[in-house]
Formats: sequence, C-alpha cells, structure tokens
Amino acid sequence: MQVITRDTLFELAEGETLLEGLERTGHHVEYQCRSGYCGACRIKLKVGSVVYPKPPLAFVKRDEILPCCCLVTEPIVINVPLKSKL
Amino acid sequence: MKMKYSTFSQADNNQMGEPMFFGQPVNVARYDQQKYPIFEKLIEKQLSFFWRPEEVDVSQDRIDFRNLPDHEKHIFLGNLKYQTLLDSIQGRSPNVAFLPLVSIPELETWIETWSFSETIHSRSYTHIIRNIVNDPAVVFDDIVRNRHIIERASDISTYYDELIQYANLYNQFGEGTHQLNGETITIDLFELKKKLYLCMMSVNVLEAIRFYVSFACSFAFAERRLMEGNAKIIRLIARDEALHLTGTQHIINIMQEGDDDPQMAEVARACHEQSIEIFRHAAEQEKQWAEYLFKDGSMIGLNYSILSQYVEYITNLRMSAVGLEPIFPGANQNPIPWINAWLVSDNVQVAPQEVEVSSYLVGQIDSEVSLEDLGEFEL
Repeated sequence: MQVITRDTLFELAEGETLLEGLERTGHHVEYQCRSGYCGACRIKLKVGSVVYPKPPLAFVKRDEILPCCCLVTEPIVINVPLKSKL
Repeated sequence: MKMKYSTFSQADNNQMGEPMFFGQPVNVARYDQQKYPIFEKLIEKQLSFFWRPEEVDVSQDRIDFRNLPDHEKHIFLGNLKYQTLLDSIQGRSPNVAFLPLVSIPELETWIETWSFSETIHSRSYTHIIRNIVNDPAVVFDDIVRNRHIIERASDISTYYDELIQYANLYNQFGEGTHQLNGETITIDLFELKKKLYLCMMSVNVLEAIRFYVSFACSFAFAERRLMEGNAKIIRLIARDEALHLTGTQHIINIMQEGDDDPQMAEVARACHEQSIEIFRHAAEQEKQWAEYLFKDGSMIGLNYSILSQYVEYITNLRMSAVGLEPIFPGANQNPIPWINAWLVSDNVQVAPQEVEVSSYLVGQIDSEVSLEDLGEFEL
C-alpha cells in the first residue's frame, strides 16, 4: 500500500506496521508502547483512512492515527517529515 | 442546590446520563453499561500490567551504586527522591480530590485503579533505596528538607489542595456567598470546575513531562549497564504511567469537547492561557531541576543541555495531545532517541503467572503432575 509523507512516498512492506514502515524509510516518528495505549506515535492523517483490528486505548483526534496499530487499507497521505529534513 | 456527596446516594438515577464530574455521586458500582467504555478498558489494561517490586532483583545495583563517582551518586539519589515525591502525591491525591466529584462508575473505578498502581511505584522506591543505602532515612528525610524538591512538591500539590478545599466548601455550603470565620467567601460551580480542569492539566503535566525527565535519568545509567535492576523497575513504572497519561488525556479531551458537560467546554476555554502557563512553568522548573542534578558534573550520555532539550521536546509533544499549541519552536527532535527503546513495553514480561516468581506461588497448588507421580496408582 502506498504511503505519501511530507517529504517522500514509499510502499508498505508485507506484514509491516505503518510505524515500522516509517522507521525503515528514515522518518521522524515517536513511539513508546507500540501497541496502541500510550498514543506517543500519533500522527496527522491528511488523506485516506485506516482501520484498527482492535480499537486503541490512546486518545486520537479525528484527524489523527496511531501508526503502531492501524491497518493501512488504502493509499494515505500523512504529515510526517523525514529525519534528514527536520 | 447541588446534590451532596454521599457514599451511596439513594436517589434512583440513570448513570448513562450523568456527566463525568459534578453529577449525582455514584451509587451502584456497575459496569454492564458504560457511558465511556474507555475507562473500563484502561482498568482492564492496568490490571493486566500488575507487578510487584519484589519480583525484580536489584542486588547488582548495590555493587554498581557503591562504585559510582560522587556526582553520579547525587544524580541517582536526587532522581530517586524526586520520583518518590511524585508517586507520594499520585498515590493518594486522585482519590482524595476526584472521587468525591465523580459521577460515573467506570471513571470512579479507573481513578481508584490508577491511584493504586501509583502506590506500587512508591513501594518499589523503598525496595530500591533499601537495597542501595544502609539507612533509607537519609534518602527519605531529605525529600521534605531539600529546597529543590520542595519547590516542585508545592507546585504539584497546590492544584490538588485548592481543588480539595474548594470542593469541601462547595459540598458543605453550596453555591453562594457565605460568612465563614469572619471571612466572606463566594462559592460557585464554574470556579470549582475551573479548579478541577486546571488540576487535571497539572496532573497531566506531572505524568507527561515530570515523570519522563526522571525516566531519562534512570535509563541513562542503564544505557551504561549500571543500575539495571532499577531500570527494570522504572520500565514497569513507565508502562503504567503511559496508561495514566492516556487516562488524563481522555478526561481532558472529553471536557474540552463539551458533549459530556457543555459548561466544561466553556471552562476549558476560560482556562486556555492558564493551561499553557502550567506547561511552561513546569518545563522551566524541570530545566532548573536538571541544573541541580548535574551541578557537580554530568554523566555519559546525559547533561544539563541534553536534558533541557528533551524537556522542551516532550513539552511540545504533550501540549499538542491536549489541544494546546507547542511553546518551544524548533524543539521538534528527540535529543535522546535511545530512551524509546527503554520505554517500549513489548519486551517487559513480568506478569507473575508468566515468569513463575516463587513468592507469587507460595501457598498455591502446584499443578505440575509428572507421569511418575501416578506410578503407584492402580485401577
């Protein structure tokens, strides 16, 4: 599935979470619990939608998603920068 | 006239229609129906995290501590004193301050579960301190004598104390102007709600920033393979704190949205500037604390400047989570990215039933049965 970020775009690899994909491609993203209860990794979703196999405990606003535990089922645009472009 | 607090209000009510706070005090503790199921989920998660300090072996830390240079001993103990202070407050205050005001059962029980888990943290500090110093009193006594710690304590407890005091008066006398001990005081619900909102904000800051500053110090030792028993305990505490933080973020956001209590949204707007100031002030205070910690020298991987940058970075992050604009422009990068590896809870495995801790099994039936045990059986 295609992910468009602030500075680039990439394809999510098979079985990889969005958080792992962002880390693999050198994006700046925070994390703590990696399982949906702390909310540290929350990012802004600009276009598209995601689903959650299990509803996360963390608070997420309407325009935010948790890349650690969401499933990307359609191409999305998110507002995440590359580490090198910070 | 408002509903007086009662431990079991006999007025029949629909709990699904009550606001989080200031409705009818909770009577039946029932969870079959929930206005905000998130609090029940937080309770379940917190219970699944249950751990006991005694499960963590801290004996190597004693040797490590003895070999630390003096300025690092100061950093370690100072940090531990601060953590002890934070959890001393958190182990009781949510119960005392929020329980008399809450009006839905799942939130009431979440507050109790939350506060209880903080008491485990407090007990774990005693476990750590007892192990590294011969006389724990030297550490504990300093918490109320050390000016640098006391400053923080009063900042945190003031919001709780003011809320508790004002809520007591409100409960006793209700809204209006009253003559008390020759003093004229005016009590109104809007003001009380403001005190609750600001207190919740200050608790959020405590959990979201103050604790994390202390975690950074604990893990900086462990990065060098020192004080690892301590770090193991702090990881468990950090896992709990992430959950508590989620709890207060939910409460604050529900208040701001106003669907639960329209007046609360007004309160949130009225407290906007003050909320930002709570964050700003705490961030400044945490930086001063860093200065005190490192006054006799830094440690490898952490110094005043790095910790200050971390304070700014994490303050920005936490502010946006509760709908406030970040106040430190440019602090958009984590200066200590290694901390996340310590904070991740994937590999924290301590549920007693999973690791077979001997103390947990005492008094229980051993359900292991080998074939030999049945050797003398005949049918």
